[in-house]
Amino acid sequence: MEDKRECYLMKGNEAIAHAAIRCGCDGYFGYPITPQSEVLETLSALKPWETTGMVVLQAESEVAAINMLYGGGATGKRVMTSSSSPGVALMQEGISYMAAVEIPAVIVNVQRGGPGLGTIQPGQADYLQATVGGGNGDYNTLVLAPASVQDMADFVDLAFQLAFKYRNPTIILSDGVIGQMMEQVFLPPVKPRRTEEQIWEECPWAANGHRLKQRKPNIFSSLEMEAVSMEQRNIKLQEKYELMRQTEQRSSTFMCDDVEYLFVAFGSVSRCAEEAVTILRQEGHKVGLLRAITLWPYPEKELNRILPTIKKILVCEMNSGQMINDVKLAVNCQRPVYHFGRMGGVVPSPDELVDAMKGIIFDKN
Amino acid sequence: MKEEIIISGFGGQGVLSMGKLIAYAGIADGKNVTWLPAYGAEQRGGTANVTVIVSDQKIYSPILNTCTTAILLNQPSMDRFLSRVKPGGTLIYDTYGISTPPKRDDVNIFEVNAMDTAAEMKNMRVFNMLILGGLLKINPFVKLENVEKALYKTLPARHHDSIPDNMEALRKGMEIIKEV
Repeated sequence: MEDKRECYLMKGNEAIAHAAIRCGCDGYFGYPITPQSEVLETLSALKPWETTGMVVLQAESEVAAINMLYGGGATGKRVMTSSSSPGVALMQEGISYMAAVEIPAVIVNVQRGGPGLGTIQPGQADYLQATVGGGNGDYNTLVLAPASVQDMADFVDLAFQLAFKYRNPTIILSDGVIGQMMEQVFLPPVKPRRTEEQIWEECPWAANGHRLKQRKPNIFSSLEMEAVSMEQRNIKLQEKYELMRQTEQRSSTFMCDDVEYLFVAFGSVSRCAEEAVTILRQEGHKVGLLRAITLWPYPEKELNRILPTIKKILVCEMNSGQMINDVKLAVNCQRPVYHFGRMGGVVPSPDELVDAMKGIIFDKN
Repeated sequence: MKEEIIISGFGGQGVLSMGKLIAYAGIADGKNVTWLPAYGAEQRGGTANVTVIVSDQKIYSPILNTCTTAILLNQPSMDRFLSRVKPGGTLIYDTYGISTPPKRDDVNIFEVNAMDTAAEMKNMRVFNMLILGGLLKINPFVKLENVEKALYKTLPARHHDSIPDNMEALRKGMEIIKEV
């Protein structure tokens, strides 16, 4: 079906900013860092505070920004921040605190090469930080991995919906390729910001005033002096995470009907892998791709659904081997799983992926 | 059709904006496009480059190892990207920026004396439009009128009075491109 909406050409970072305003975001708090600075730049240029009333604030640091999210999210507002790898590292304490007291918020990470300050070129080495914690304690965040500028535009509203559905921080784990590149994009429909009345109705948990004791005051604290009480809170969180695991796995497959050799990738590398699949298919190899769209929860159901025809799996990432852990856990030793990675900001080309896949196809071991 | 274009030169030569014009014109033509810059330290005096893909099919990877067309505007770019042009592809370079002319028999090589021509036109800022004109002469994969539309989209309103000069430079580029 042809899309009748107007087609724009813009960067992934710009799409994030436009999408935030359009989906009724109440507040953005962030600090500039390459390669995601266009998010704050675009929001500042669009001046949504004059139209929708959305607040845009350049915080004094990433630590301040994430704690502004804690405050804003606790009042039931749709709040978001964005940063890149070293900046998101600074936010981990705040994310853990928000997970602990179940505050919804959206955090965008346009990853660059690490560790440390690393490079300003694209990377995917924050996979483990995003999917298995990053901050302290037993907690999980929903993680969405966009692979196009269109995904950047579409995932903002999705991330807010998931964050509020589960009262949980949601991370959009992008990378410098998707943030910096321009593609055509159809912007999401405009939704008004929720009124105070709507937030009062929809978020009975929010600290937005008890209206002369119409309800008891809501207090957010992650501190418990009794270990047993804290364990009860953990049990409740784990039940929620299990529900998320059962319901929110997302992925897409490409040429997987008769697949024997499977690429597994996410984000920009999944685009390279698609190209590699088309090249290898032309040469007669039964190659396909599973793209993980949610990195947590990991799409293990889909991987197991397509597993019967598969002989070998090649996980491709811009890191030393992080998502491969989740693939191995999902496959549970039923198939050999290999890895191809580039690190530190180097982006692999489709040809490198083709060569790596041929290496495992022709390897008799 | 699928055009894979790498444009590379010094920061400030209009490399990224040339790519943007191609991308906008491609969209106006109803094509799919991707525009991927190499940014960062390279914009501060070093070599900047951009990969633009224009296709009537879905574009999978925005990252390329090889290209069908390379526009190389300085020697470091020539050294880096010459070998990445696909056999049968097109290579365009600016005479002034290249000290060692490229040698490849399997690629169609063209030169545009853009730096000198821009100086003659007393408007160094149209340098990239001369080059783009040359490209569209030998491979008119986007319509000239859509490049003009793209100029209106990419230039801020205060610079719209320079669009006639840019279009003139585009046509001039079509005249001065030479096969090597």
